[in-house]
Amino acid sequence: MPNIESLSFFLPELFLTASMVVIILVDVFMGPANRNRVVRQLSLAALAVTAYLLWVQTDPGEAIFFGALAVDPYSRFFKWLFLIATAVIFFVTPYTSQLLKTARHEYYLFLLAVMFGLFLMASAQDLIIIYLSIEIVSIGSFVLAGFLKGDRHSNESSLKYVIYGAFSSGVMLYGLSLLFGLAGSTNLFDVQRALASITGPGDLILVAALLMILVGFGYKISMAPFHFWTPDVYQGAPTTITAYLSVAPKAAGFALALRVLGIAFGDNLQFPADQWFPVGNLAIGTVIALFSGLTMTVGNILAIQQNSVKRMLAYSSVAHAGYMLMAATILNTQALGAVMFYLAVYLCMNLGAFLVVILVHNKFGYDDIDDWRGLGFKLPLVAVPMGVFLFSLTGLPPTAGFVGKVYLFSVLISSQQFWWLAVLGVLNSVVSLYYYLRIMKVMFLEGEPTGETVSDHPAMTGMILALMVPVLLFGVYWSPLMGWVRASLKIFTPGG
Amino acid sequence: MYTDFAPILIFSVLSVALILFALFLQRILAPTNKSALKSSTYECGEEAIDNARMQFNIRFYVVALVFLIFDVELVLLFPWAVVFKELGLVAFVEMLIFLLILTVGLIAVWRRGDLDWVKMEVPYARGRYAQLEQPLVDEPAPEMAAELEA
Repeated sequence: MPNIESLSFFLPELFLTASMVVIILVDVFMGPANRNRVVRQLSLAALAVTAYLLWVQTDPGEAIFFGALAVDPYSRFFKWLFLIATAVIFFVTPYTSQLLKTARHEYYLFLLAVMFGLFLMASAQDLIIIYLSIEIVSIGSFVLAGFLKGDRHSNESSLKYVIYGAFSSGVMLYGLSLLFGLAGSTNLFDVQRALASITGPGDLILVAALLMILVGFGYKISMAPFHFWTPDVYQGAPTTITAYLSVAPKAAGFALALRVLGIAFGDNLQFPADQWFPVGNLAIGTVIALFSGLTMTVGNILAIQQNSVKRMLAYSSVAHAGYMLMAATILNTQALGAVMFYLAVYLCMNLGAFLVVILVHNKFGYDDIDDWRGLGFKLPLVAVPMGVFLFSLTGLPPTAGFVGKVYLFSVLISSQQFWWLAVLGVLNSVVSLYYYLRIMKVMFLEGEPTGETVSDHPAMTGMILALMVPVLLFGVYWSPLMGWVRASLKIFTPGG
Repeated sequence: MYTDFAPILIFSVLSVALILFALFLQRILAPTNKSALKSSTYECGEEAIDNARMQFNIRFYVVALVFLIFDVELVLLFPWAVVFKELGLVAFVEMLIFLLILTVGLIAVWRRGDLDWVKMEVPYARGRYAQLEQPLVDEPAPEMAAELEA
């Protein structure tokens, strides 16, 4: 679709950009008094209007901007996830004691910019847009990770993030350039057409391009062995940002990786294709299966030894990337649906767990697991939801995490491939039980019920309870969410 | 299609070979007459007085970043200007929007005082020259404020 006609299907992103420009101007021209509050409220209003525009958006039926961006139900599903995550972070930021001593007005603007990048990542269908969208997200995240200027940990996390980000996106860019060299086009569907006709020496280059692209995506979703930045960045960044990074860019990374691999390396011209296209002697499914097994094992085993709750949750987020990659080994609608379902559930439970970390930090300044002793007696309204989130992260019924994991495993079982990976996944879940339950044990079984309870912010507690509702609800009645996922997986073909 | 890249391969091999050849040639032809003065770092310039790895004022980086943005803007303006006539009104409006967004960035930098080298009167400057009359941070949320004081 040509550029001018495309604009009407690009309204949410256009509005987001325009509102950012306006908010920057308001920000610099108003005095320092109240500017945090004004910028936050303006940004929340921008989020609301963006949500409305996303809600009324119609399907163009073909990719917009000459095939560069897909406006399909699949991308819209992820855009809703990003909107929810961003709104939750906006909501809890004024109640985060870590951030109170810094000027936060630019923080909100950076969050909006990152969300704009995430929107593009969910829709990108063109190699250039893919690279640009990842960079928009990354650069905003670098700044946000280092937002506590006086805090050495925050500085360290930002610097590590920059170095890892620059390196892995450099490698990915090289991979994308190889792909462009092979196909002669930046459009993913053209790439697929070209790859399907390649024989001979192209195979080796194709394998190199595939692996290099996987480096870039692996960095975004913190897949082992590209996960080394995760614990340090997650620990040093302000906890609100940690919560955001652990759900939104990860979901976007999965959305983009599945779209790119599903189109360019699929065996036919639709998204998702039915099977992987064989790249030389390399079976893509097996490569992803190896990465998946490594990722979940590394994440879980390293999480055991952590004493900082934030660090432990960071390794747990690495492990969860591994679980989700497990379904991505197979290329079909069922696998995509399983990953999307799990990402939606993961958004609720992981955000919830991090909000509890923020609240405990506000109250007691704790981060070590040992300091959480007896929290169940002091803050029951927070400790119980934390228990639910941890059960859900482990994958125990009757929580949504259980349902999500069942869907992930069922992809492998019904495709009759990679049995070893399914077994490894189950074993890993058992390992994860240990460190999740360790927090539970410290909260509820250690410490004495002194009878004194600590008052907590109604807003924060309310948000945590609100995030607990979907985790419990989708654990017993998940068909609405699954229905939404299925509706979002209308097969997308390029239309000409 | 790989043969299309053959000139590039030949060019890179030749350029490396030429350099090696020149180095080899001067090794056998030129007289070697080493002295301490000759092997000092700047034979024809100032003597090094200190390590180059020193701390810079962070304002250099801000200026460098601003420069970079407008440098990239120019790079994007050149190809646009070359084909401007063929592209017509749409491209003109698109480029205006692009410039507008960049100008907002310039306004923000200007207004924040990052273009002033000596920050005498900028309301939100920090450090030695700051004349802070108003607090940098506004009031925290009411329930948090009580807690911070406690």
